[in-house]
Amino acid sequence: MVWGAWICLISPLAAACLITIGGQRLSRRAAGWISTASCFVAFGGAVAAFVGLLTHSASDRDFISTAWTWITGGSYQSGLSVLIDPLSTFMMLIVAGVGALIVWYSIGYMDGDDEERRYFAYMSLFVFSMLLLVQAGNLLLLLAGWGMVGLSSYLLIGYWHDRPSAVAAAKKAFIMNAIGDATMALAFFLLIEKAGSLDFGILGGQYSSTVANLVALGLLGGAVAKSAQIPLHTWLPDAMEGPTPVSALIHAATMVTAGVYLIVRTHAIFEQAPQVANLAADLGAATLLMAGLIALVQVDIKRVIAYSTMSQIGYMFLGAGVGSYPNAMFHLMTHAFFKALLFMTAGIVIHALVDEQDIRKMGGLRQLAPRTYWAFVVGALALVGIFPFAGFFSKDPILAAAMAKGGAYGYILWAAGLAGTFLTGLYTFRLLFVVFWGEPSAFVREHFHPLGRDVVAFSLAIPVGVLGVLSVIGGWIQFSPWWHPIETWLRPVAEPIVNPSSWQEWTSITLSLLLGLTGIAVAWALYGAHRVTVPRVAWVQHTLEHKFYFDEVYDALFYEPAVALANFLRRDVEKPLIADSGEDLGADTRDLGTIVARTQTGLVRSYALAIASSVAVLAIVFVIVK
Amino acid sequence: MIALLGPEIAWYLSVAAFLFATGALGVLLRRNPLIVLLSLEIMLNGGNLALIGFSRNLGDGGGQIFALTVMAVAASEVVVGLGLVVALNRKRITLDVDRLNTLRG
Repeated sequence: MVWGAWICLISPLAAACLITIGGQRLSRRAAGWISTASCFVAFGGAVAAFVGLLTHSASDRDFISTAWTWITGGSYQSGLSVLIDPLSTFMMLIVAGVGALIVWYSIGYMDGDDEERRYFAYMSLFVFSMLLLVQAGNLLLLLAGWGMVGLSSYLLIGYWHDRPSAVAAAKKAFIMNAIGDATMALAFFLLIEKAGSLDFGILGGQYSSTVANLVALGLLGGAVAKSAQIPLHTWLPDAMEGPTPVSALIHAATMVTAGVYLIVRTHAIFEQAPQVANLAADLGAATLLMAGLIALVQVDIKRVIAYSTMSQIGYMFLGAGVGSYPNAMFHLMTHAFFKALLFMTAGIVIHALVDEQDIRKMGGLRQLAPRTYWAFVVGALALVGIFPFAGFFSKDPILAAAMAKGGAYGYILWAAGLAGTFLTGLYTFRLLFVVFWGEPSAFVREHFHPLGRDVVAFSLAIPVGVLGVLSVIGGWIQFSPWWHPIETWLRPVAEPIVNPSSWQEWTSITLSLLLGLTGIAVAWALYGAHRVTVPRVAWVQHTLEHKFYFDEVYDALFYEPAVALANFLRRDVEKPLIADSGEDLGADTRDLGTIVARTQTGLVRSYALAIASSVAVLAIVFVIVK
Repeated sequence: MIALLGPEIAWYLSVAAFLFATGALGVLLRRNPLIVLLSLEIMLNGGNLALIGFSRNLGDGGGQIFALTVMAVAASEVVVGLGLVVALNRKRITLDVDRLNTLRG
C-alpha cells in the first residue's frame, strides 16, 4: 500500500528525468511511450494503494509515510511524506488514470510536432506535480506540489513558445496563480504562528474566529486562483493556447479541480469559518452562471469547453462550500471523465481540420466523422447531466445539498445551480449542433482529412473510447437517493455537513433534468433546426463577448496603473538619478583627464626637470626637518 | 678597519656632487640624445663615486657592490639608449629630444 503510493508519485518524475536526460538519444515516439507508461505505472501504484486501504477498516484508513525530514526550523518540522487516506487515493486514481489516457492521446495529437520530447517531459512533470499535490502528507508539501503544478501549467500553456499569444497566456496564468499561491502561503504562515506545525491534523484544532477566517480566506484565495473561479478566473480561457491534450489534462480534468480538493482536504478550517465557506459557495454559484452565459457566445471550440469547465468547477465549489464534500469530489471525478472526453473529441476535430478552432467555419462534421460525433454526444449528455450519463449522478446531489443548506440562502444557491443546468444544456448543444449538424461547410469540405489506421489514429481513438465508456458508466457508482459508496468511502476524511432529505434529492433531480433537457431543446430550436432565429441584443452580446469586461477592468485597475507608474519611474526617477548620473560621472572624469593631460608634454627634458627639482625640494625639506 | 688614508670624505662627495650636477645640467640643457645619454652616465658616475666614498669612510664593502651593480645597469641602459638612437637615425629622424614628443597627453 505504502510502496504503491510512492511508486505512484515517483514514476512520472522518473519519466520526466529520463526523457530530459535521454534527449535526442530517445526517439520522439519513445518519449511519448515512456511518459504514457509511467502514468500507467502510477495508476497501478494508485490501485495498489487503494486496494491496500480497502483491507483496513474504515476508521483505520489514514497512513502517513515519511521518507525523511524535509525542513526543520526551531520547533517547526516538516517531513517529505505522503498521505494515504481515502481522499488522496481517490485523487491519485483520477489523476493517474485520466492522466495516463490523456498522455497516451498526446502521442497521436502531438505526432510530428517539432519538440515532442519536451512536451512529454513537461507532461510527466505535470502528472508528478499533481500527484505530489494530492499525496502531500502536510500542507507545506502540498504547497510545493501546488506551485509545481502552476509551473508545469505555465510551461505547457506556453509550449508553442513562438506564438506570442501562447506566451502571454502562460504568463497570465502564472501570475494569476501566483496571487493564489501568495494568499495560501500567508495562511500557512499564520498557521505556523498559531499552531506551530503544518500537518493536516492541526486543521482540526480550535482557533479564534479571526484566525480561522483569515486562514480559510487564504486557502480560498489559492483555491479560487487554481480553479479559475471569480475573481481570478480570467487565465483559464486564455490557457486554451496550449495544445489540446494539455487543455484536457490540466485545464479540465485535474489541475483546475485542485482548488476543490484543497477545500475538501482542509474542510475542518472552513467549518470553523462558515462565512468563508459560504463565500466559496457564492463564488462557485456566480462563476457557474457567468461562465455559462459567456460560453453561449464564444466561437472558439476550446474556449466554449473552457468556460464550461469553469462552470462545472463552480458546481464543485458550490458543493464544497455548503459542506457536501463527497458530492463535490464525485462531481470532480465524473467531470474529469466527460470533460477530458469533450476536449479530446474537440482535439480530434481540430486535428482533422488542420488546427482550425473557429466553430463558425465548422459544420456538418457528423457525416464525415460519425464516431467522433457520437463520442462528443456522450460527453455533452454527461456534461448536461442527462440520465444515465455520468453528470446526472454527480451534479444533482450538489443541488440537493444546496437546498439542504436551508434558508433563503440555500435556495438562492440552488436556483443558481438549476439555472446553470439550463445554460449548460444550451451552450453545450449549441456547440454540438453548430459543429456537427447541418451540411459540411466549404471550409470543412476543403480541409477535412479523416484519421488513418495507424498508431496516431489508435492513440487518439482508444483513450477517447475509454473515456466515452467512463462518461456513461462512471456515474453509476453512486446514486445518492439509493446507494452512496463514494460518500461512505470519503466519510472518514470529509464528513458531509449537510444531508439532503429524499424529497430534496428527487426535486433537484427532476428539475435539473427537465431544465437540462429544456436547454437542449432550445439549442436545438436555435442552432439545430433553425426554427427560431437567435435573439441578439447588442449590449448583452457585447457584454458576453467581452466576458463581462473582467479583462478590461483588470487592465484598467492593475495593468495600466502599473505601466503608468513604471513609465513615471523610468522617466522621472531612473533617468535623472541613475542613467544621467552615470553620464555625468563619465563626463566629469573626462574633463579632469583633459586638465591633467596638459602636464604630459611629451618632452623628456621637462620630465627630467620635474624629477630633479622634486628631488631638490625633498632634499632641502629633509635637511631642514632634520 | 684600518685608518683611512688620503683626502677626507668631503672631497670625494664634492667631486661626486660636481659630477652629478654637470650630468644633470647636461640632461636638462642638451638636445642631442647622444649627449643626454652621456650626461646620464656622468650622473651615474657621480652617484657611484659617492657610494664608494661612503663605503671607504664606513669601512663597509657593501657600497662598492652597489657601485658595481649600478655600472652593470648603466651599461644595459646605454645599450638600449644607443640602440634607440641608431634606430632613430636609420629612420632619418632628427636627433632632437624636444621633437620626440609623441607622448604628449
